[in-house]
Amino acid sequence: MRGRQREQPREQREQQRGPALPAAVGALCRALPPSARPAPDTLRRARFDRPQASLDFWKLLYVLLKQIHGDRWTESDAIGAQVRFVKWALWYHGYGRPQLQRLPADGSAGSRELLLAFSWLLHSPGLLEQLLARNRVQTGDETSVCTLFQLLESETTQLEAFLEWKQLEPVYWQWMETVLDDMAEEGNMCESQDARVEKRRLPEVTSCCPWADKLAGQMDRLSRELVALQEQLQQLVTQRRAAWREKVATREELQKERFSATARRTQESTELKLRALTSLCAAQKTRMHGLYRLVLRSKHPASKTALGQRVSKEAVAAVSAAEVIRELQVREASLQRELQQLRQQCRHRLDGIAEGLEGVICISP
Amino acid sequence: MQERSNTSGCGTGPRRPSPLSGGREEREAPKAAEGRAASPGPAGHPRHSDHRDASARRPRRRGAAGPRGRPERRRPGAAPASAARATPRPRVLAGPRGARGRREERRGRGRADAACGPRPKVRGRGQGPAGPRRVPRGADRAGPCRAAAALRAALGEGAERRRELERRAARSRALLRRWDDEEEERPQPQSGSSTEHEDRPSPKELEELELLNRALEKALKVRESILKTSLEAQRARGQKWAGEAHAPKKAEEQQVPVPVEDVPEYRKVRTGSKKPLLLKKPSPYQLRAPYRTDPDVKKLQRKVPARCVSQGPRTAGKIFSKAVTSKQGRSHRTATGATAREVCAAAEPQETPGLSESAPNEQQSFYGGDSAAGKNSTVAGKQLLDAGKKSCGFLGESSKKEDTAGARGRSASPGTGTLQEKGCQMKLPVPYRKAYSRNSRAWERCRLCRTSADAAAARTRFMERIQTTFEFCSPKLTPSPAEIEEELRGLQDVPSRLRQYVESEPADPSTLQEEYESLLTLEGLRTTVSQCLQKLQLLREALESQLRLCPDCTGDVGSCSPACVPARGQTCDSADMLAVPLLCYSSLQELRDLFALKLQVSMLHQEIALQKVMMAELLPVLEPRPLLEGSAGLFRAIHSQLCEGGRRFPVLVRDELLD
Repeated sequence: MRGRQREQPREQREQQRGPALPAAVGALCRALPPSARPAPDTLRRARFDRPQASLDFWKLLYVLLKQIHGDRWTESDAIGAQVRFVKWALWYHGYGRPQLQRLPADGSAGSRELLLAFSWLLHSPGLLEQLLARNRVQTGDETSVCTLFQLLESETTQLEAFLEWKQLEPVYWQWMETVLDDMAEEGNMCESQDARVEKRRLPEVTSCCPWADKLAGQMDRLSRELVALQEQLQQLVTQRRAAWREKVATREELQKERFSATARRTQESTELKLRALTSLCAAQKTRMHGLYRLVLRSKHPASKTALGQRVSKEAVAAVSAAEVIRELQVREASLQRELQQLRQQCRHRLDGIAEGLEGVICISP
Repeated sequence: MQERSNTSGCGTGPRRPSPLSGGREEREAPKAAEGRAASPGPAGHPRHSDHRDASARRPRRRGAAGPRGRPERRRPGAAPASAARATPRPRVLAGPRGARGRREERRGRGRADAACGPRPKVRGRGQGPAGPRRVPRGADRAGPCRAAAALRAALGEGAERRRELERRAARSRALLRRWDDEEEERPQPQSGSSTEHEDRPSPKELEELELLNRALEKALKVRESILKTSLEAQRARGQKWAGEAHAPKKAEEQQVPVPVEDVPEYRKVRTGSKKPLLLKKPSPYQLRAPYRTDPDVKKLQRKVPARCVSQGPRTAGKIFSKAVTSKQGRSHRTATGATAREVCAAAEPQETPGLSESAPNEQQSFYGGDSAAGKNSTVAGKQLLDAGKKSCGFLGESSKKEDTAGARGRSASPGTGTLQEKGCQMKLPVPYRKAYSRNSRAWERCRLCRTSADAAAARTRFMERIQTTFEFCSPKLTPSPAEIEEELRGLQDVPSRLRQYVESEPADPSTLQEEYESLLTLEGLRTTVSQCLQKLQLLREALESQLRLCPDCTGDVGSCSPACVPARGQTCDSADMLAVPLLCYSSLQELRDLFALKLQVSMLHQEIALQKVMMAELLPVLEPRPLLEGSAGLFRAIHSQLCEGGRRFPVLVRDELLD
């Protein structure tokens, strides 16, 4: 069957997919923000790996990824910079196709690879959804109402295109699979050779981008703190353990049955306490990013239940101000502590220095 | 000279052509709080050392600067090169108050900085708690500029934030006052937004214009008699759509006899952070073809100021002023090329009753100011007045307005009285409401829409296939860099939280049970810490293996991370992303506390960052011993800055016994 299909030119096969594909591609394009909207033709051309589409595609991915990263770009950013950024961002999000990284830096080729990357981005960091959410028109704020009209309308059309796209998604993914098929057919032999060559490239782990530096720095700091904490805890624990053992040895009552029941209860309660702690630690991730809509809500949610389903859906993403306040208080306390520690450090060092000052005595406040 | 090259720590990537090609825009990098000093490129240093030669410097510092090359990317604790530079002149020891001493230092450093080149551009926008944590890129520059740049950036951010807050506060205050006062004040806050109105009409001018309007009305009446038949049709129409406002686009389609409503008049009311409630109701009016293209009308109105008329109710004048100011506010100039969209009626129909009370013969004088598109205004005719009255009744606020209008002799704006009183009755203009409801429905649908089963299946198939071609075939084993970062972010708070717990454990438990409990808790915490360490180790390994594939990049990539990075494995649920997160508060006090805390936290971040930077710069100044005689004052200044936050200072007492 495969052979028979190969006899037909690819384009014909395309058309056999039916009218849904252009609609799907069109909807997809329309669902993208206006600043980065490709022509459906670009995707088509990319599917056949036409070099003319490469520059457009690089630009498209560049703009989209910049938006996701909350970064700024200008029209005049050079193609080299665009290519570099796109490659880095795709790496960052975990796109691991080596062929992409090997694409030429002047953006002259690789539209098919880019198409694959684009489709991957649709799924993996949820490109469309993120863009829609990020570029959401702020209806509560200071935009002048006129342009708000336009913004709202364009956003609504985007959303409707998104819905349309959702309907037509399967067609698109099948189409992408054919792209993969083609690449599989063509590229197998030469790719493996290249891969072997490439892997010899960077044996050393020295980071080559500031992001990695920053991350490594954070990791170092974190591990230092954790290690310090661990030592401190270790000390405390051994102390207390020793003391406890003494007590157990000396005091008869602790060895009786009665205490073991209390001991068990204590154990359970401690476990609960610790579990609460660790879950708190874990839950911090999803917090406090981005804009929130302020909602005045009384402390008694019961009155809202009349709205039924609506409320339950709304309640999902809601965060109460009291929690945030608590969070912030905790954070404030810890920051204060950190600041005091730093100052203490300075004091130590300066005291040391003060001893070297001749003829002068330093009296700290 | 800008040392941009040093921030691109990449050893293998293409370097910038020369360190001189600076001017790259500063982007706020979420730098670690200590402001990592990337090593300066070797090209940059020779210049510095030239400058350094000029003043007395510690020789050993200078030597260290040269061979420092690229491989040293991690911050070495202090940039000795910068330290040498950072020595302020001995004058610094003047200040008895730490604050002054600090300023002196800064100035001194600033001078040094001047020698080192143009200041880095820093984006001084205030941000949320995460913002000030970032010491801007400029501060990263090894060299004397770092602390100066950091301080300057902090100052800039603070000033910017304050300006922003003041602006907002002023706006909110303007909104919250009684709206009759608003007319006077409106022109000021709005002057920023209006570009085409050259001056704010004084009350006298307004009255004059009022007279002019009346004159024009008479002219209109003359015309009306000509177009009588069409007017009747319009009257009928007027009754129908009293209170409605059609979409602006219809204006374009209109032909001569067909009256079309234009976009309703509304003021630009700046909303605060709450939901928009505040715009006026639409006022319908007719569009008259003959006047649309008549430029003379405009010119006449401009010539008004000559005459001085003091009669006429002040209300009319006020209406006018409102109209004018609201015209100012309206940014129609940027409207969708609906040049045919014109504004006829400016005033609020609600005022009709008030008007009719105070001046029975008073026609509603509608005058719309010009907007940049040079739209004409037409003067209303009888039909307009009728329509206005009807719409007035429709809008239903007339009764209230009448009271206040009568009482104060002023015409009622949609909200005489405070925003608080009237706000809940206000409604937004209809086209906006339509667009808004359509938009929010679309959002709802999008949020609720689920990926169909075949779509999900097709997508997964594609994903699996493509993932087999990846370097790391199994995403579970090797998280993506984005995921690594996310995990790390989650771990950041752990040490401080655990430390809290540790500290909250009683040092001397009273009962045996307490002692046992405390023991168990501590042991549990210890386990948690080792788990975290293990996790950290895994993350580090993952990062290293990912970095093997890291593409060549120079400094201009990858400085910001996306705010939301879902794990690779799971499908991004549309609902989660598309729902706008809500922050529920139950009282104003909560909000106040919240924002105060936010500010406090971000200030602390900033302080810590600055502290670290200054530690790195100032301490090395004092370290080499023996210190010179004159540095006692320097020592005091540094001590007060670093240890007391510049608030108190140590006392230095000369040790007389030595003599």
